[in-house]
Amino acid sequence: MFFRLLWESFRRQRRRKLLAGVAILLGATAVTAMLALATTIGDRIHRELAVYGANIVITPAAAGLDVNVGGVDLRPATANAYLKESDLDKLRGIFWANNITGVSPELDLSGMMLKVAPMDTLGYGPSAVWHVGDPRMDGSEAVPVTGVGYWFARPFGNLTTGAPQLHPWWKITGRWPGDHEVRSTHAEEAEEIAIGATLARRFGLHIGDWIHMGTEFEGDIVGIVTAGDATDERILFPLDATVMGSPVDAAGHGGVPESSAVSRVEISARTRPEDTFARKDPETLSPSQREIWYCRPYANSIAFQIREAIPGADAQQVRRVEQSEGNVLKRISGLMWLVSAAALVAAGFAVSAAMATAILERQGEIGLLRSLGASRTAVAALFLAETAVLAVVAGLFGFLCGSGLAAWLGRRLFPTDAAGAVFNPVLLPVVIGLALAVAAAGSTPAIRQALKLEPSAVLRAGA
Amino acid sequence: MAVATHAAARRGTRLALPRMLRQSLLHRRSRSLSALLAMTVSAAVATALLTLYSDLDAKLHREFRGFGANVVVAGAANRPGDALPPDAAARVQTAAGADATVAPFAYAVATTDRGTPVVVAGMDVDATRRLNTWWKVDAWPGAASAEAVLGQKAANFVADEHAVKLTFAGRSISLRGVGRLRTGGDEDSRIYLPMSAFTAWTGVGPGAVEVQVPGGAAKVEAAVTRMRSALPGLSVNPVRALVEGENRIVDRTRALMFGSVVLIALTVGVSVLATMSASVLERRRDFALMRALGGSQGQLLQMFLLEALLLAGAGVVAGWIVGSAAAWVISEANFDTATLPRLAVVPPVLLLNLVIAAIASVLPARVLRGLEPAALLKGE
Repeated sequence: MFFRLLWESFRRQRRRKLLAGVAILLGATAVTAMLALATTIGDRIHRELAVYGANIVITPAAAGLDVNVGGVDLRPATANAYLKESDLDKLRGIFWANNITGVSPELDLSGMMLKVAPMDTLGYGPSAVWHVGDPRMDGSEAVPVTGVGYWFARPFGNLTTGAPQLHPWWKITGRWPGDHEVRSTHAEEAEEIAIGATLARRFGLHIGDWIHMGTEFEGDIVGIVTAGDATDERILFPLDATVMGSPVDAAGHGGVPESSAVSRVEISARTRPEDTFARKDPETLSPSQREIWYCRPYANSIAFQIREAIPGADAQQVRRVEQSEGNVLKRISGLMWLVSAAALVAAGFAVSAAMATAILERQGEIGLLRSLGASRTAVAALFLAETAVLAVVAGLFGFLCGSGLAAWLGRRLFPTDAAGAVFNPVLLPVVIGLALAVAAAGSTPAIRQALKLEPSAVLRAGA
Repeated sequence: MAVATHAAARRGTRLALPRMLRQSLLHRRSRSLSALLAMTVSAAVATALLTLYSDLDAKLHREFRGFGANVVVAGAANRPGDALPPDAAARVQTAAGADATVAPFAYAVATTDRGTPVVVAGMDVDATRRLNTWWKVDAWPGAASAEAVLGQKAANFVADEHAVKLTFAGRSISLRGVGRLRTGGDEDSRIYLPMSAFTAWTGVGPGAVEVQVPGGAAKVEAAVTRMRSALPGLSVNPVRALVEGENRIVDRTRALMFGSVVLIALTVGVSVLATMSASVLERRRDFALMRALGGSQGQLLQMFLLEALLLAGAGVVAGWIVGSAAAWVISEANFDTATLPRLAVVPPVLLLNLVIAAIASVLPARVLRGLEPAALLKGE
């Protein structure tokens, strides 16, 4: 009987149920979409903020003082300290390794560059020569040009990373050089390189030209970079090909280059915005506090773990990026959460009002049931069961719609995102639970009110 | 006779409309209150979200100020070591606008008492403090003092951090070190002192002016154009990564907020519709009675509509106050700055509420039209 009443109520009052159902459905859609967006906004904005570059930088601890103004190295040429490229693998073993989203090592080499007249007779020749430490270039028209070794698209764990990933504002005409790609086009060995736009203009270089580098190498220009900073005046070559930057002596012979040396490593990591606890010096903390500090993804903790993992390395958070990024991240996700809360309150309020109305409308029905001998409990159970069925069904559809909407909005707004999971199963019980709670909160007082009235009075009034 | 009664009834209805309206609202007080509450909620939500939304750009752009300079002015060769004209900073300020933060820097390579070359920079202490909020400084030097802050790396290359002895072109200076500077960038390897002390010692003037133009890409571009024409012969470069990133993030956040506003407005709208139209449907009997007394379909619809619009209007007044308060609280909690109530959001909020109210009263009219007054009154 109970189930039959329930069934008939849905079958016969389709329009009324539809309106209340749509209200719950829309409420659940809004809440699902907002929660789904609010829980992922942190990662998304972090990825957007990646345009500001690395938030942690590793340098050799023993390095001399940088004498560098506006990207121009004014340091006298002296022996400098380097990190080992092979040590970078140790980054994959630190506690927060999975939070590292990009790694870009670099090796700076100060060289001299000289424009060369095209060798028409042969039809093939370098457009310029770039040598490191070549005394023969002193006093010539050669100008100082820095060459930098980078990774371009290097597999690192399950990341593919390098300079273009860490500097998304760099614009390339042509393409990035390939790592590991040594091709022998002529007698000399060749590597692909990219050059800065200002340098290209100054030397009249184009894609397809090549530069004589080191002693026996040709650098084929495959791309021209516009960065808006000192990189515009540099040569970018694959880090594997540092042999091209080996010093050339007075006799024109190449020296042996420092193998797999790296002068600086930029790291992009997902971090937690800094709070008072993050600023503490781990050495001053008690062991248990230190453990907590160590296991939180603060930039400071990650830098600390990097220093532990790589001997001789000094890792620091880049405060300009890290401090402001944390702030922006906090504000935007805070905003999303507050708006979600507002959505929740408003939707809850509106839906429970709609549910209350839906019950109040049916006072006559309640009166009839009561006069036919149904107990108060039975009537309340029937109406609450109706409410529950409505809430679960509409909540489920709302969850599906909301998840789809969040995925669609996410893709529209953040097209760079890798497609994440559309459905967040954790949200399903939350949304259904909220729908049940809100619907029950709306209908319970209305049911109680309707039950308080005398059946005869209700029937007469409602006739 | 029928005609006379009808005419009298019509006249009566016309005269009594305000009275009927008042009675209708007062008699079913709880029903009217719940409808008013529903309209207030919809107006409050719309007000709160629109108020936040209209202020969002300014608020987000302010957060991005933490990233520091977004335009750098340097000599023609774009090398911050080359000196600029002495009045460059003042001219940059004029061209960039009064709300821009302008900080000139001068650079020289000096030698420490340990014989290490080090970049020494002169700065305008106040402007640098405002511009580079991310600098972690133990203490700032006095504006016209012979004091210095030492980058955390540079500090390792001087003999005494508190009495820093430097030599530039054969002229030495002794500075009182007031603390260390930590940034994780180039600044770590430098020593910063006030511009006046720097110029008196080295004779070198500002070599670069860092500018922060508040606002989005369009404002920065406009300021760059103004600076380029006001400072011919100098290179004026926007920090592209900052400008582009800022705009993209602000745009996306705004679009996200806009989506939320539409979604929430829709949800609340439909719920209010359900509440309001139920309240009209519930009064079938009143409707039938009035029809039986000679009221026309149009008159009754007019009355329902008027009643709903009245409630909607009252809802907007209450909702605007509640919504503005909610926006103020949200913005105070999240951005630490208040968002002031805006009268400009009233028209769209009013429109939204009126549309909801109109639909809520017209929609059930279709149902009512099909009803026979006599049957309804008999209770069938």
